[in-house]
Amino acid sequence: MSDQGPHLPAPSLWPIGFAAGIACILIGLVISVLVAVVGFGIALVFGFLWLRDVTRPVRTPAPEVEPESRPSRATEATAPAEGDAMPVMSEEEIATYPRSTFISIATLGLGGVIGGIITVPVLGFAVLPSFTNQHEPNVELGPIEDFPEGDFVIATFLEDPKIGEVSRRTMFIRNNGQLEGQPSFTVLYSRCAHLGCPVQPNGPVFDDEKKTIGDHVELTPTKPAGFGCPCHGGQYDTEGNRTAGPPVRALDRAEFSIRNGKLVIGSFYSVAKVEGTGERARIQKYGRMPPGVHVDGPEAWLYPLEVPR
Amino acid sequence: MASRRIIERRAQHKRYKEDVDRNGKPFFPHAMFHDTVMSLVVVSVIVGLTCVWYFTAEGSEDAGLLGPYYTEEADPGTTNFVPRPDWYFYFLFYLLRVFKWPDTVVLGTVGVPNILLGILIALPFIDVRRERRLSRRPVALVSAIIVVLAMGTLTYKGATAKESLGSETLAAVPDWSQREGFAANQEAVAGAKLFAVAGCLQCHTYLGTGSSNLGAPDLSDIGATNKGVDYFQRYVANPAEFGNTAMPPFASLGEENLHQIAVFLDASKGPKG
Amino acid sequence: MSPQAKSARRAQLEAAALYPLEWLEERSGLVGGVKYFLFRKVPRDTGWFHTLGSATLTAFLVQAITGVILAMYYKPDPNSAYESIQHITNDLTLGWLVRGMHRWGASVFIILMFFHMARVFLFGAYKYPRELNWIIGVLLLAMGMLEGFTGYLLPWDQTAYWATVVGINLNGTAPIIGPFLAQFLAGGTEIGADTLSKFYALHMLAIPGAIFALIGLHLYLVIRLGVTSPPWSPDAAGRERPEAAAPTNGREGLVRPGRRGGSE
Repeated sequence: MSDQGPHLPAPSLWPIGFAAGIACILIGLVISVLVAVVGFGIALVFGFLWLRDVTRPVRTPAPEVEPESRPSRATEATAPAEGDAMPVMSEEEIATYPRSTFISIATLGLGGVIGGIITVPVLGFAVLPSFTNQHEPNVELGPIEDFPEGDFVIATFLEDPKIGEVSRRTMFIRNNGQLEGQPSFTVLYSRCAHLGCPVQPNGPVFDDEKKTIGDHVELTPTKPAGFGCPCHGGQYDTEGNRTAGPPVRALDRAEFSIRNGKLVIGSFYSVAKVEGTGERARIQKYGRMPPGVHVDGPEAWLYPLEVPR
Repeated sequence: MASRRIIERRAQHKRYKEDVDRNGKPFFPHAMFHDTVMSLVVVSVIVGLTCVWYFTAEGSEDAGLLGPYYTEEADPGTTNFVPRPDWYFYFLFYLLRVFKWPDTVVLGTVGVPNILLGILIALPFIDVRRERRLSRRPVALVSAIIVVLAMGTLTYKGATAKESLGSETLAAVPDWSQREGFAANQEAVAGAKLFAVAGCLQCHTYLGTGSSNLGAPDLSDIGATNKGVDYFQRYVANPAEFGNTAMPPFASLGEENLHQIAVFLDASKGPKG
Repeated sequence: MSPQAKSARRAQLEAAALYPLEWLEERSGLVGGVKYFLFRKVPRDTGWFHTLGSATLTAFLVQAITGVILAMYYKPDPNSAYESIQHITNDLTLGWLVRGMHRWGASVFIILMFFHMARVFLFGAYKYPRELNWIIGVLLLAMGMLEGFTGYLLPWDQTAYWATVVGINLNGTAPIIGPFLAQFLAGGTEIGADTLSKFYALHMLAIPGAIFALIGLHLYLVIRLGVTSPPWSPDAAGRERPEAAAPTNGREGLVRPGRRGGSE
């Protein structure tokens, strides 16, 4: 074809690289000499390539190239009238795997992969932290002598003093004396097993005899005949067993240990019903469940999965 | 070919569109005027409620006409608080009291509410008749009335539900001793204080305080039965001895405390005057 | 000036004043959209009952705006949330007004949603072709009540904390998934430091986002399908006519019309 206008150079990426090199030099002058040297190198290389491209028609004559043409294998009937229409594929070609299908599937597939790479970790972060690393830290309450034998105290403490008041918990603790040489305690959680309302001791509470141990433990003596929840009238006896009302099981308990003569509260667990009293109580432990969840009996089948720790 | 019902309802919608095209009024300004006035009313009501709330509640402790600014800061370790949701959840809150047996708890918490929500969502597929006039929709009208009455009643009962907090009922003892006339009797007053904190008012009522649960009787004039101090002392220690299996035994309060409670109950012969 | 010159001058002024709207319309088509919304026809007998929907929207917008402003001063950390609420209520100028509007606006929003739902039910406006709109509306009701539940925790006072404890435990009693749902909501086995942040994020971002999207759909459907006349109105749009209807091919009146010039 005849060249009617001025001959414009072919589109080329070399100037971009050259500009990047110049930018690197300027930045390097401010930041560090190494960057400037690298930039100089880049500018040199791309500048050379650009120059070579621009001067090509001057250096060598443009070679004659036959315009590419693909002989159409279409039959007479389907051959398009105009010369520059898309080549039509024959029946056999269409039956084999067409490129457009591959590209469609690849696009959707890659899109799915990208979506997955973004969403799965994000959803994981939204959900999993509530379930991992869930264990109550061991809290040291105080010397055993501070817990009068045979009587309950209302013990409030911070489960995790570092995060502050939001970790305050209350337990009803009774020193049962000794069983076969080992100290025995009844440690009941103060939240109702129906829906988690705070449970009251049914009896006098001696606020003026409150004792503070350390910086976050408070022990208040009380003489309850049982425990009652004001929300819906749930009643418990002094072992935490439900005696009346909607609670679905006994009050939760916590494991305890004695370290250096001090009572240490461990992890919580759920209980269906406690046989016996005090140090002779026989307790069947279940994994800790939220309030309102049956752990034994036919209704326990509604809750077959235990939340993993 | 679509069924007759589908044809008819499509025809009705076509008629609707034609009627609106022919006889309708432009949204602006006619209908939009109504909307604007109503929105003004809404904003005024919100601001009005705010002003009433703010200016009648002097500080955090007082509850004015519409409640205090806020209650005390959250204390996860308290044993002295009765939780309440916001008022629009009162109907669900009271539903929990309706389902008070342990085996039915799951019905009250998630069963009934979700079933009702399901019916609500599926309503257009349950009622497929084209009829919109209320006079020809008896089921819809009756169920609407029942739902409104039920939710209204549940909300009202939830709002007026009272429980007893040991700390609050203790403050009522001087009033009791005045009204019942046992202020001079030291043992009765001590017994009244024990009665207030030992959880009795979680099931019994006394001179208007407490809640009525599990069929427990009002005790304001229990002394008038003249059963005597001994009787009350043994009853409270072990109600099962007298055939009462709903009430738990209070023997672990100790004999001295039980005696004081018994004296109090015997002195409660009904408000004087 | 002659009347023709006067009206020509007036036309010129009008054109100049309206030029910005034309500029916008040519480049976006938005002005035409707004005009369509404003001047579309609604049935002649719509009345005050039909204002409940837009009243609900107004209440929600009040909540959104006051909520954003409150968020500028509220601190979503258990150790400072209560103080920030005290600060807003007592110290900041007009803080009590914005906080009060947000708190009472919530109640008004929920009441209006129930009234609006009752109106739609009694008018039978959940029937064809508005079934989808009804379902979206019920979802909006659920979202609104969840907004109330998550927002209730934010002041972090005794009422807030314990109402949320019970609310989360209510979810915990659901069969099979209950314990997992409760633990997810609380951010652990009990309400802890993360619970407040989670509820704040839900209350500020997730649920309002869902509500805005659902409201958008809800309004689109209302504009597309039209509002119903009161069913007792003698001039109700779409009522049965005594004269026999022309036989249809079953496709007329389709909300989405079939091929133009349809079969026959």
